[in-house]
Order: sequence, then structure tokens, then C-alpha cells
Amino acid sequence: MEAISNPILLYGACALVGVGIGVALPRKGRNPQVLGALVAAVGLGGLFLWAGIASQGALPNYHFYLFSAIALGGGLRMITHPRPVYAALYFILTILASSGLYVILSAEFMAFALIIVYAGAILITYLFVLMLSTQAPTEEETDALSPYDRFAREPGAATFVGFILIAGLTSLMVTGAPGLDSASAGAAETREGYLERLPGKVERAMQRTEGEDGEMLIARSDEVVSVDASDRTALVRNTDGAERTVPLPADLSLRNVEGVGFELLYAKPGAIEIAGIILLMAMLGAVVLARKKVEMDEEAKLAMAGGDA
Amino acid sequence: MLVDIATMAQGDFPEPMTGLTLMHYLMTSGLLFALGLVGFVTRRNLIIMFLCTELMFQAAGIALIAFSRFHLNHTGETFVIFVLTIAAAEAALALALVVLLFRRKETLDASSWAELRG
Repeated sequence: MEAISNPILLYGACALVGVGIGVALPRKGRNPQVLGALVAAVGLGGLFLWAGIASQGALPNYHFYLFSAIALGGGLRMITHPRPVYAALYFILTILASSGLYVILSAEFMAFALIIVYAGAILITYLFVLMLSTQAPTEEETDALSPYDRFAREPGAATFVGFILIAGLTSLMVTGAPGLDSASAGAAETREGYLERLPGKVERAMQRTEGEDGEMLIARSDEVVSVDASDRTALVRNTDGAERTVPLPADLSLRNVEGVGFELLYAKPGAIEIAGIILLMAMLGAVVLARKKVEMDEEAKLAMAGGDA
Repeated sequence: MLVDIATMAQGDFPEPMTGLTLMHYLMTSGLLFALGLVGFVTRRNLIIMFLCTELMFQAAGIALIAFSRFHLNHTGETFVIFVLTIAAAEAALALALVVLLFRRKETLDASSWAELRG
């Protein structure tokens, strides 16, 4: 019974989302965008309700639902809004909500990088190009917008294809996902292994952590010589040069930024260089493409030459 | 069957994730991707079409971060850096091209360039 009812609920919700988006897309004549958005929202809510029911026993975190709702709502409004600048602003909303999702996944570094790079740099570029290349209508009516913003191209067929895709993906999640193994112990070991390369961090942590006797684990003047991550001990030398082995604090582990840094610069050192080269080539390409030849007549050239002399 | 997915890897930082499943993230990611795809196919404004590809990048990023958390390593997160790089490079080049095209025909309509098809 469950095997039949679950896919029907799932495909019903997917179809609802598809119909809603199809209605909400800008079109000729009457434009029931609010109605379409509501239908799509009901469908999205149904999908998440289905996901919640399917993973009973694990009550989901409400922050996740909040950020997902904002991200999906922003995305929906972005593809249906007739005014391009508003679409870009709704995309910034989606970016902010998905950086919230990143924080829930304890990827703080990427969350902030996302806000800085996407919302701060890329979207501003988009807004500038929009302002440079759109004849903004002064009236409030959307009739003043260019026709290519007011009418969508093939809304019915496109939403149909899009939600065939999403129905396939979500039903694969039901049948295919249980085959996934959860985290391997080896991955966590590598993570801890990086602690051996951070004696300074270990030293600072031990100087601030109280041992069982109420004293700090090591004194301010002590120095951590080396760290053994596998049995969680550190070799400590005091000012007299005497060495001893001290167990690491129990809660000492690698932080998110440190982990990303090691992964990027230690485990995959070439990758960041490649990214730099891609960015450099893109910058050069953009400069070459968008450069405009300035036409200068003879008088202006003479005036410039005279100014220099 | 699905409860198996729900027993997602419990991390040590900053606190164990209570009850969030990988499937929820994949569903958000998939829906965002589908929205971006629908937008890319239906909208006729060149700039909005590129914005929709950014939405699809974003969906891929959420899936990568979720898998990175699921497997408790940072590979997915470092890959998101490359998604950001590609997005930035694409924005620079594509927008330069859009500006060029706009100078030629004073329109952003994608179908006004239909003669470019081979």
C-alpha cells in the first residue's frame, strides 16, 4: 500500500508545482501570477510534507524548512517576475537563504564566501549590465516593459519537462538513496590527522583547557613539540628543556575553515592555481570582448596633443 | 527503508545534526535546479537566462555541501569554491557578450539572434 500511495502523493505534488509555475510564468493577456504562485507553493509544501513523512523518526530542524522555503520562493519569483532587476534581487534572496542552509550544514566558510562572492560581486555585475542594457519604463504598468520580458516562451512544455525531471529525481531518491553508505571512518581520521600539522593551535588550546586537577593542561611557558593525532597526545617541552607527553583536550578538533584550507592547499594544491588561471582568462576575455573603440576626430587628437605639450 | 537515510552521519562540530536527512537537502537542491532549468528554457531575456544558470549552480552547490557534510570531509566544500569560480568567470564573459549583442541590435531578446543557429 505504501509503495503505491507514496509515488502518487509524490507525483501529485510535483504536478501541482509544475501547474503552478506554468500559470505563474508571464504570458499574454490575463496574468494570474498570484494564483500560480500559490498553487506552486502548495505543491512544494506537499513535496516537503512527503519528505517529512517518509523520514519519520527524524524530526526535521525547522530552520531547514525556513531557509528552503525562502530559497525556493525566491527562485520561483525570480523565474516568473517580468522585471529583470527584481528577478536579480529575488536571486540575492535565494543566495542568502542558501547560505543559511550552508550554515546548518556547518560549512560556515562557504556560507560567507557565497554571500561575498555571489551577492556582493556577481549579482552586482548583473545589476550593472541590466541597468546598462534595459530601457527602464517609467510607468508602473508592466505594459511598458519590452515584449521579451512580458511573455514567456513555451511555458507549458518547459514546465512539463522541468517537472518530469524533478519527479524522476525525487522518486530516485526513494529507490536509490538507501544504497548510500554514511561517512567512512577513514575520512574522519584524515581530518584529525591534520591536527599534527597545527602544533600552535594545539598549544593554545591546551594552555586554555583545565585538566582534572583544576590546573591548565600545560603552562603558558610550555611549548608543544609535536602532536600524535592517532592516540591524541602531544609532546610538550617546558622552559628547562624537559619533555613529557600530555593527552589532548577531548573537544579539540579541526574547525571548518582549517579543514577547507588543508583540503585546498595541502591535499589538492594545484586546484586553486587552476581556479586562478580560469579567473584571469575570464577577466582578460571580458575586457577584450566588451572594449569599445573610441572614435576620435582630428580636432580632438590635436587638442590632446596640445594639452600634453 | 527511508529511515535508513535518516541516520545521517553525526558530526563532531559544532553539534550533532538532529534529524536532518540528506534527502531533504537533495530535494531542495533538485527543486532549485528544476526552477532554474524551467526559467532558462522559458525566459526570453538573455540576462535572465544567465541568472537562471546561476540558480542551477546554486542548486549544485547545496547538493555538494550536503554530501560533504554527509561524508564528513571537506572535498565537497572545496568543490563549491570551483563552482563559485566558474560562476564568476561565466558572469564576466557572458555579460560581456550580452553587452556586445545589445550594442548591435538594441534588444536583449534571445530569439532576435535566431540567425546564429548553424
